[in-house]
Amino acid sequence: MADSESRMPRHIVRLLLIFAIGGAIALIARILFQDKSYGRYGIYRGDAVAEIAADEPMYQGPGYCQSCHAERHAEWTAGIHKVVVCETCHGAAAKHPSAKAAVTVDLAGKSTRVRIAGERLEHIKLAIPADSVKLCTLCHEKMPGRPAAQKQIEVSSHAGGQQCIVCHNPHSPKIGAAGAQKAGKPGDAAAGRKKAAACAACHGAEGVSGNPEWPSLAGQQRGYLAGALLAYKSGARPDPMMSAQAKGLSEADIGDLAAFYSDASCKAAGSKSSAQLASAGKAKAAACASCHGAEGVSGNPAWPSLAGLQEAYLVNALKAYQSGARRNPMMAGLAKGLSEAEIGQLAAYYAGLKCK
Amino acid sequence: MKWKIGEHRPDRRRLLRLLGRAFVYAGTALFSVGLMGRRGLAAAIPALAGTGYDWTKHRWGFGIDATRCIGCLRCVEACKTENGVSRDAHHFRTWVERYVYLKGEKAPRIDSQADPGNIAASGSETEYRFDNRYRDAKVEKAFFVPKLCNQCEHPPCVQVCPVGATFRTPDGVVLIDHDYCIGCQYCVQACPYGARSFNPKHEVTDKCTWCYHRITRGLKPACVEACPVDARIFGDQNDPESPISRFIRENRVQVLQPAMGTSPNVFYVGIEKEVV
Repeated sequence: MADSESRMPRHIVRLLLIFAIGGAIALIARILFQDKSYGRYGIYRGDAVAEIAADEPMYQGPGYCQSCHAERHAEWTAGIHKVVVCETCHGAAAKHPSAKAAVTVDLAGKSTRVRIAGERLEHIKLAIPADSVKLCTLCHEKMPGRPAAQKQIEVSSHAGGQQCIVCHNPHSPKIGAAGAQKAGKPGDAAAGRKKAAACAACHGAEGVSGNPEWPSLAGQQRGYLAGALLAYKSGARPDPMMSAQAKGLSEADIGDLAAFYSDASCKAAGSKSSAQLASAGKAKAAACASCHGAEGVSGNPAWPSLAGLQEAYLVNALKAYQSGARRNPMMAGLAKGLSEAEIGQLAAYYAGLKCK
Repeated sequence: MKWKIGEHRPDRRRLLRLLGRAFVYAGTALFSVGLMGRRGLAAAIPALAGTGYDWTKHRWGFGIDATRCIGCLRCVEACKTENGVSRDAHHFRTWVERYVYLKGEKAPRIDSQADPGNIAASGSETEYRFDNRYRDAKVEKAFFVPKLCNQCEHPPCVQVCPVGATFRTPDGVVLIDHDYCIGCQYCVQACPYGARSFNPKHEVTDKCTWCYHRITRGLKPACVEACPVDARIFGDQNDPESPISRFIRENRVQVLQPAMGTSPNVFYVGIEKEVV
């Protein structure tokens, strides 16, 4: 067969040549421009997986918070809110308290991935929710669709629009639960009697004060007594007389004293004010009842009973909460709205009640 | 014409023989390349090897217990923060729907946090809460349903991607390579669950990754971490004692739109047939 006979037609050769050049360009472009990791695991860029996995976690979990806020953490784990992690209410910890510290704590690896919504937030300080009503009702507002097991309140009729934290500790919201935790080890009442000699001059030999400005201690809540002495000792509750007295007490002493006084039988101071004043106070006292008891006898070891306390002492205490001399977030909020007359009415009402 | 009609043409047979040979060689070559490729797939990602994470050893799964959900939307908040999702009320990787069956009505009323009434209740597009619109209504039945990407066994979104920007990892998560995504939104259309959204600012598609950066570190996804009522369950389906394996074993679970043939990996408890 002649050479000319086996040669392909020229237009076919030209076409094949164009295909070959096109193929070569595509191959070179693929080598030059396609990511090296493309197709390593499948039809995608293999490096993308590691890039996505390299993002740093923002939610760190309760263990991360515990490393600094151990006390709050313990309070939280003991209460019914332990199913709600810190960051659900306070927001993501991310690099809190600072970027530098966070790297040394547990965040390793740097992110090179292009983030979709730009840069990440860097919280230096976490939010302490200012509006507890807004926050708490996210879960606890009575609403069709919420399971019956979920604790829900009718917002309009519950606590008259007050902030939730006035009565509830958000870390352990069940009323009474947090206080029981704080009461500490039970003291020895007999040992407390001996140590109480120094207290008798002002608070009476059996804890019943004869002075209108000094409170009776007999029958008072044990946890409250211990907490008050600890606060005097630490300086959290400054008082010229009590701070000096409490400074020398050990924690065991405080437990013994609290046991002695809480076991002692009380005697109501009584009110010298008119019955009219007391009945006006009774109407105002509805807001106090959820913590201090309907009849002024607290059901919670951490919160004091008010029934039968000295009238002048009660007036002074409420005024001290108003001025900030006595610091307590719950009481400050409640006392703020009271007029001088209302304070007098409340004091008259509680002083006249029977103690227990 | 070089050839005469009817004349024997030996080069035609030669060409057929050549083509046959070429097919055999090419087939062998492709087969061996394919084998190599498969071996590559089985190996753990070198970049994650330092973390001790082997993506061939896990098969992640997600559970939703709608009987527990209280509609607080802390999962949505957590997801947005954790993953840097746009804060506005219309772009979500996870969201919550409310189904309310009123007395005398056949179809449920459905709303989510993106509903104008709910935006008004929260006071801002960047905060999320359900309003109490059914407070005084005659409600026969109502429940909340958290939703997120189902991380399907057979993901239609991956099938339609023209550039290989979205893929399914061996540990069972569908991811998006935002460097390769061209923003064509084919995948947004393909997903029967509406789990993908388009980010107009960055011109890429976005979706839930089950917090791939967290689960590869041994953490739970952010929404699971933040959920205050354990309505979201997460774990490894390869481990029979993981929360998700127990959840599937101990409950009568269902998946969304099983007829689509996607084989979802998000398992629901306590939802009605209207939930798709």
